[in-house]
Amino acid sequence: MSHVGTVRLSCAGKDRVVAAIEFDRVSLDLAGKRVVDGISFAVLPGEFTCVVGPSGCGKTTLLRLVTGLLAPTTGTVQRFGVPVGRPSREVAIVFQDYGRALLPWRTAAGNVGLALEATGMPRRQRRERVAALLAKVGLADHAGKYPAQLSGGMQQRVQIARCLAQEPRILLMDEPFGALDALTRQALQDEVARLVEESGTTVLFVTHDLDEAIYLGDRVVALKADPGRLADIIEVKLARPRDQLATREDPEFLRLRHVLFRHVQRTH
Amino acid sequence: MFSERIDRLVSRRGWLLPLLLMAAAEIALRISGIRSDGLARPTEIIQALLGLAADGAILQRTWETLAPILLGATIGGAIGLFLGTWLGLSPAAARLAGLSVELFRPIPPVAIIPLTLLIYGFGVRMEAAIIAFTCFWPMLLLTRDAVASIEPRLIEMARALGLPRRKQIVKIVLPAAAARIFTAVRVTLGIALIVAVTTEIAANPFGLGYAMISAEMSLRPDVMYAFLLWLAALGWALNAGLLMLEERLFGAKSGRSMR
Amino acid sequence: MSGDRGGLLWHVGSVLVAAAIFAAWALATRLHLVQPIFLPSPSAAFANLWRGLARGDLLMLTIATTERMIYGWVLASLGGILLGGLIGLSAKARQWLAPTLELLRPLPASTLLPVGIALFGLQPGMLLAVIAFGAIWPVLLPTVHGFGDIDPRLREVAHHLGVSRLSFAVKFALPAALPDVIAGMRLSLTACLIITVVGEMITAQEGLGTTIMLAARSFRSTDLYAGIILLGLVGFLNNALLGLVERILLPWRVR
Repeated sequence: MSHVGTVRLSCAGKDRVVAAIEFDRVSLDLAGKRVVDGISFAVLPGEFTCVVGPSGCGKTTLLRLVTGLLAPTTGTVQRFGVPVGRPSREVAIVFQDYGRALLPWRTAAGNVGLALEATGMPRRQRRERVAALLAKVGLADHAGKYPAQLSGGMQQRVQIARCLAQEPRILLMDEPFGALDALTRQALQDEVARLVEESGTTVLFVTHDLDEAIYLGDRVVALKADPGRLADIIEVKLARPRDQLATREDPEFLRLRHVLFRHVQRTH
Repeated sequence: MFSERIDRLVSRRGWLLPLLLMAAAEIALRISGIRSDGLARPTEIIQALLGLAADGAILQRTWETLAPILLGATIGGAIGLFLGTWLGLSPAAARLAGLSVELFRPIPPVAIIPLTLLIYGFGVRMEAAIIAFTCFWPMLLLTRDAVASIEPRLIEMARALGLPRRKQIVKIVLPAAAARIFTAVRVTLGIALIVAVTTEIAANPFGLGYAMISAEMSLRPDVMYAFLLWLAALGWALNAGLLMLEERLFGAKSGRSMR
Repeated sequence: MSGDRGGLLWHVGSVLVAAAIFAAWALATRLHLVQPIFLPSPSAAFANLWRGLARGDLLMLTIATTERMIYGWVLASLGGILLGGLIGLSAKARQWLAPTLELLRPLPASTLLPVGIALFGLQPGMLLAVIAFGAIWPVLLPTVHGFGDIDPRLREVAHHLGVSRLSFAVKFALPAALPDVIAGMRLSLTACLIITVVGEMITAQEGLGTTIMLAARSFRSTDLYAGIILLGLVGFLNNALLGLVERILLPWRVR
């Protein structure tokens, strides 16, 4: 169980490095109801943090607080030391409903290129970047297809490619594999892990699947619901690169599974 | 609570606009003193409307328009329903009928007006014939779509139950497609009203359409606009009433795409 | 392979069915089931049509009607899309205008004809104005709906990509609304044809509408039928034209 890469830092290093995302006693009220209450945790640059919890615990709300779509009622949310304000291209978000997040009238290449058009990149450069990104997610042969002609897994990959095109410092993922079948889900889990490892992007990954959270994450933030409160943060010290079979049979994986499961049970 | 209060205010705001426009028109016409064959003050229009209601002209004209609608829409709609059900149940028949539908459907109903005039002369039958022709097509096509989109397992089950064909249709097919067929009826009746009034404007000297033409010819713009207003209200009420019925019978979600 | 052959068979079948209908028509006239003045034989009707076209007068009339219809449609579409886009994109505008638009929706466009005549008299431009004004509503309302009903998820995506207002309108809103806009344009074209024909009938301006009305009044039923066939042809071409426009502008729609 080796500690990995120069990008990931131990807790001791926290004082010296600015957190990629920092929640400081964040509470949010929506329509008179307290959705999240007093949440505090930090995500270090390059870390892959998963958030789990029962429905209604505010998992998705946390993501929106990071993008700036929602502002906290009390407390602060900071990105790289700066309080979150207007949405910024340094944050990219992958939605679960890929069908609604892709432009149906643009091809896969067109959708990925959308992110680059907003930056004013010249057309030739854009085309090369788009081709490279599609190749990276394994869709080089499908560049000219419309979303309606692609399977669910492929559409989700297009969305991921579009988010990567932004070259974000922070990648947010909102239960991105929830609508996919088990096999596709596993394939995409590994793909995301690989892509993120290469780019060193900070990831905040929301899921209701405990196994997925442990499999993918360096840490797992467990929330309880009504209102959303922090229950526990669990360190995942499993070897990378992770393997669908080997890692999931690792005794440490099973132990973490137990701990997390007990948690979720208790908070229900 | 608060957001509900805002909602109510907002919807009231929408009604403010027509009232403001009418007030503006009233003031503008009074100040400028313009008198024209084509313009009328809103107060004059309201007065005309009340007058027409009082002497029964509105009811008379409305009935003259509704009678051919009832007759024509029923006949044309029934034939369309029958054939549409058949085409919906039998993809073979639908495909065979394809070309014929494409050939005859584009004939604009207004082109048939002179023909019905030739055959029936002025009156209810002429208008009813046009309405029947016009209502046939949407009922045919929408019913076909409604029946064709029934969950195939239901039809399988109907056959498996060993029901005779007619019972299959009455007990299973039609109820399954009922919501969409009702939407088709609502849409078709809307079209029927439009065609009826159009026929009256073009040729038939009866009904609300002719009332407008007649008012225009007698240089009574206030009466003309009064009938126009009444027509708008009638059309809206017809659609709204049928929508309410539709929601009551089939639930709020049905017909959503075809308001 | 067999699927292809099967498809061809169905096409042939539908041609046969259509031919059967014409044969039934011919038979009905041959057997004098209906008064010949009400139902001339198909051969007589088509012969009349052919003669009229060859002479050129029917062609001229068709062009006159079609021209009016198309000009009105282009004006109505431009106005409808522009206005509809502006209203649709602004939530405030939608709130203010919603009840007014709802009330105007069920009005038959042809009711504008008596109003138009009352306001402008029988000037040549009046008919075009009425056509354009009447045919705006079928485009305006679906356009407002299309622009107003953009999937909030798409709005979020645009928000995160940081696109400008103009960029959003052109790259997100317009393509998203395009299916509704085109559907509206289709309805508008149908309305244009109707208003044009009715307008011609009551203002006696040169065109197919006037011609078939005159033919009916003079009991010239073959002329009448020839005119009806021509109007049906115009309607058919309208649909074909818009089907083509749809296929070109909306290539992503799965049929």
